Amino acid sequence: MKGFVAIVSCLVLLLLLSACASQKSMIVLLPDQDGKVGSIEVTNAQGSQVADKSGEGVTVDGSGKPQAAPPMSEEEIKATFGAALAVEPLPPQSFLLYFKTDSFDLTNGSAALLQPILDVINKTQSTDVSVIGHSDRSGSKEYNLTLSTKRAQTVRDLLVGKGVDPAILAVTSYGEANPLVPTPDNVKEPKNRRVEVIIR
Amino acid sequence: MHRIVIFLLLFILAASWPVFAADDFAGSVKNVQGSVLVKRQDMTLSAERGMKIYANDVISTGKDGSVGIILRDNTIFSLGPESELELKEYVFVPDQGSFYMLAKMVRGTFVYVSGLIGKLSPDSIKIETPVGTIAIRGTRFAAKIAGN
Repeated sequence: MKGFVAIVSCLVLLLLLSACASQKSMIVLLPDQDGKVGSIEVTNAQGSQVADKSGEGVTVDGSGKPQAAPPMSEEEIKATFGAALAVEPLPPQSFLLYFKTDSFDLTNGSAALLQPILDVINKTQSTDVSVIGHSDRSGSKEYNLTLSTKRAQTVRDLLVGKGVDPAILAVTSYGEANPLVPTPDNVKEPKNRRVEVIIR
Repeated sequence: MHRIVIFLLLFILAASWPVFAADDFAGSVKNVQGSVLVKRQDMTLSAERGMKIYANDVISTGKDGSVGIILRDNTIFSLGPESELELKEYVFVPDQGSFYMLAKMVRGTFVYVSGLIGKLSPDSIKIETPVGTIAIRGTRFAAKIAGN
């Protein structure tokens, strides 16, 4: 009887082990929305494996080194990851608004961007919008921080005035610390007098 | 008397700390289908569109559940059914040059898209799974994690 129990126990253990071994994890490289493909490297205590072509995969289980897997077809990708892909958010969109020298007035070209910004906020039903103010390096750091803050607040007020819920807007400002075009101090650079609006 | 004052000060500090931390949200829920739970400290919340996500949150989906999340640096995580993601650490303060993300794909299906941290400082991203770590160079990938 004892022998029988031992044999059954061994069989159950073997079944469990083989079930574990067949439970492989799998990582598949995909192109991003611009069609670009980067690379991934999967590493565990036994070794590592790189994938750098679209659809290429790496499989790995608890006991061995990560292995290269043949590329997955689009149908296989859909069958395995369809539910996650269906809720994948679109990448955030960003807009740059420019200002007239030493002022909170938008340039005419930028004023025309307010409507497209509102359209994207509404269309994507965004609940997370960043409004980030920047200045050029003409004037002191402190002055520019205040200026860029006021510029960001101006944009926020314009958006709120058009019906955007203030609760979804996060306003920050970097002053002259984060130029789009690097310049020496005290240089006027229109491209740096900007507010970035990121719609997530 | 001094002791009481110190005790009160400590109490006030301890009580106000989570309020400061709460301002530093890591991202927000963008799309939700079916049952999706967010475990935060001792609370378990039902995920809703627009809900903020914080470092240390554990996001899990039920049999019919799926969820898409966008973090502050534009990193995107999407989870299929019966999946679990731990956002263990998340720091994104670009004007101070500090970036860091540590996330664990515990089980289920995922689609991941790199954000600004991946662009500015790819080595500051660590993605763990029960069977190994995934290093990323500016990209999008899908993962099916068997779990334990």
